Amino acid sequence: MPAPGRPDGADGPPDAVDTGTGTDLPEAAGRRLESGSFSSGLTVPDFAACLQMGLRPVALVQGFCVMQWGWYGAGSPYSRGLSPYAFGSGGAPRGVYSESYSCPHGGMVYSNEHRIWGQNYQQPWVEEAWAEGFGSAYSRLVEEAGAVGAHGVIGVVDSTRHLADMNVTEFHILGTAVVVEDAAPAPGATPWTTYLAGQRLAKLVEAGYMPVSVVAALSSVRVWAYCVTEMLMEGRPLSTFGGGGYMPVAEVEQLSRAHLAARSLVREHVRGKLGHDTLQGALIVANTQRLAQGDEVIECALRGTRVRRFKDFDPLPPPRPTVRLT
Amino acid sequence: MSGPRPTPGAPSGIDLRAEMRQAAASLGKPAHDAPSRAVTSDLSVDESLLLHSIGWEALDVVFGASLVSVPPFVWTWGSGEITSASEAHNLAVRSAAQHLGAQCTAVGGHGVVGVHVEIEVQRHHVDVELTGTAVRPVKGKDRSSAFVSDLSARDFTLLHNAGWAPVGLAFGASFVYAPRRSAGAAMRQSSQNVELTNFTEAMYAAREAGMEHMQRSALDMGAQGIVAVRVAEGPMWFANHAIGFTAWGTAVRLEAQSHQYLRPEVVLPLDDAVVEFAAQSLR
Repeated sequence: MPAPGRPDGADGPPDAVDTGTGTDLPEAAGRRLESGSFSSGLTVPDFAACLQMGLRPVALVQGFCVMQWGWYGAGSPYSRGLSPYAFGSGGAPRGVYSESYSCPHGGMVYSNEHRIWGQNYQQPWVEEAWAEGFGSAYSRLVEEAGAVGAHGVIGVVDSTRHLADMNVTEFHILGTAVVVEDAAPAPGATPWTTYLAGQRLAKLVEAGYMPVSVVAALSSVRVWAYCVTEMLMEGRPLSTFGGGGYMPVAEVEQLSRAHLAARSLVREHVRGKLGHDTLQGALIVANTQRLAQGDEVIECALRGTRVRRFKDFDPLPPPRPTVRLT
Repeated sequence: MSGPRPTPGAPSGIDLRAEMRQAAASLGKPAHDAPSRAVTSDLSVDESLLLHSIGWEALDVVFGASLVSVPPFVWTWGSGEITSASEAHNLAVRSAAQHLGAQCTAVGGHGVVGVHVEIEVQRHHVDVELTGTAVRPVKGKDRSSAFVSDLSARDFTLLHNAGWAPVGLAFGASFVYAPRRSAGAAMRQSSQNVELTNFTEAMYAAREAGMEHMQRSALDMGAQGIVAVRVAEGPMWFANHAIGFTAWGTAVRLEAQSHQYLRPEVVLPLDDAVVEFAAQSLR
């Protein structure tokens, strides 16, 4: 078996590594990738399993992107969440989720602060900014993998975190670039990527699926609560002075629908990237930022590996239940 | 050595290296036997394979969510069960499970497995989020109702092979006041090791009511029992004198004529991780 590190398995630095000419790879990255030794983020069992299936690690490749959010700045076509009237009189653009709620109590009868109108609406500008940050980091990872002649990237790990107190988020993606031994080079082809590695990847391939790419998306829904939602969430009476009584046990419909919408939207975002393929190992992370008076921002991130069937499924024999004597 | 060769450890007849090359080469070609719509699943590779082994397939990741309000002033003073909080909790779970089931039937699923349950109890509301994967028998027909189960696909496969079927998520919650001691009793007991019977009794009361809610919900679904019951109990951060108890599990029913014994094989692993030696023997 050729040694890991060179696409052709030969000793010394590779002859044909693209050091980034014509790309935005840093010069230092080009020098590092030319060094001839390999690096990998794989655990030892995953490393061994990948060698067994003919995948040879070439380099630990990474992509970064630091994004500053401009959600609430001026000049956005949507007013960027400054008001529930964000979409204007024409309503939400086509395909953008939006629902309105009106006060059932007769408007301003109870107090000046009575919230006579509320709205749930999708925040496409947030979703697009997140997709841009993740997409930039991802494309830089793939670019590095392509520069070392890799066929794919396995064991991908991604993370996002806020930097200090700034309105800034860092996207970081890393994985191990691999070469498929004895496989024909695919000129111009984009390396495939997957969150899987080791035995899990081997089982996926054995079952007839090939990873295409990691897929991730974010949905963001803003809730401007109306009076009923506010009273239910804050335990407030109908009027300022306690008149009108308190609401009984009841479903907070506006918020339930917003939470469902956020999850459904992110699933549709991901589905839009799948074509006729399958998303394997989906992981959803929801984050609800409770503001005040029932107002919320709900963000859901969904990620997984897009896989494609390349052969008929070989049915496995029925599993055998076992008891371990340990 | 070069060229394709069987991979050590792989089942006989499978050349993983050749499979990998074939898989990588396939990316430049149209998908083989592509489904009519994209499939999403939060199952692991193992779970997907196990489902296939019993003739089932994943369809879509589905969600259920519900927020239900709790009226103000219910947590602080009183005695017995805090019925409005218990009602709110049970309503939130029931509603979220209905949303989940509706999404499942909308994509043609027969049920949802591996449901991840997230519950947040706050002073003025209960928030329940459910996430799982809709499944059905391969080429199964659409159904009007779907089961919801928090069993993993692995456990679902075992249950299926044993002749049982999940019918739904059984759930019960109860919140009970722990009555305050009198000032005199608190003073007398302040320097003693004593059981706080008001809390113990409140925990028992909450336990009994919560378990009863759960079992009643299972019976209402036509189940014969509940498996993999999980419980959570304790006070809430905002209500020191109230005890909450929640219990949930998958309600099951025997579908076969009788229980099918799985007859597990006994395995003795050779990678003994607990081999130890006595340091004295080195002297």
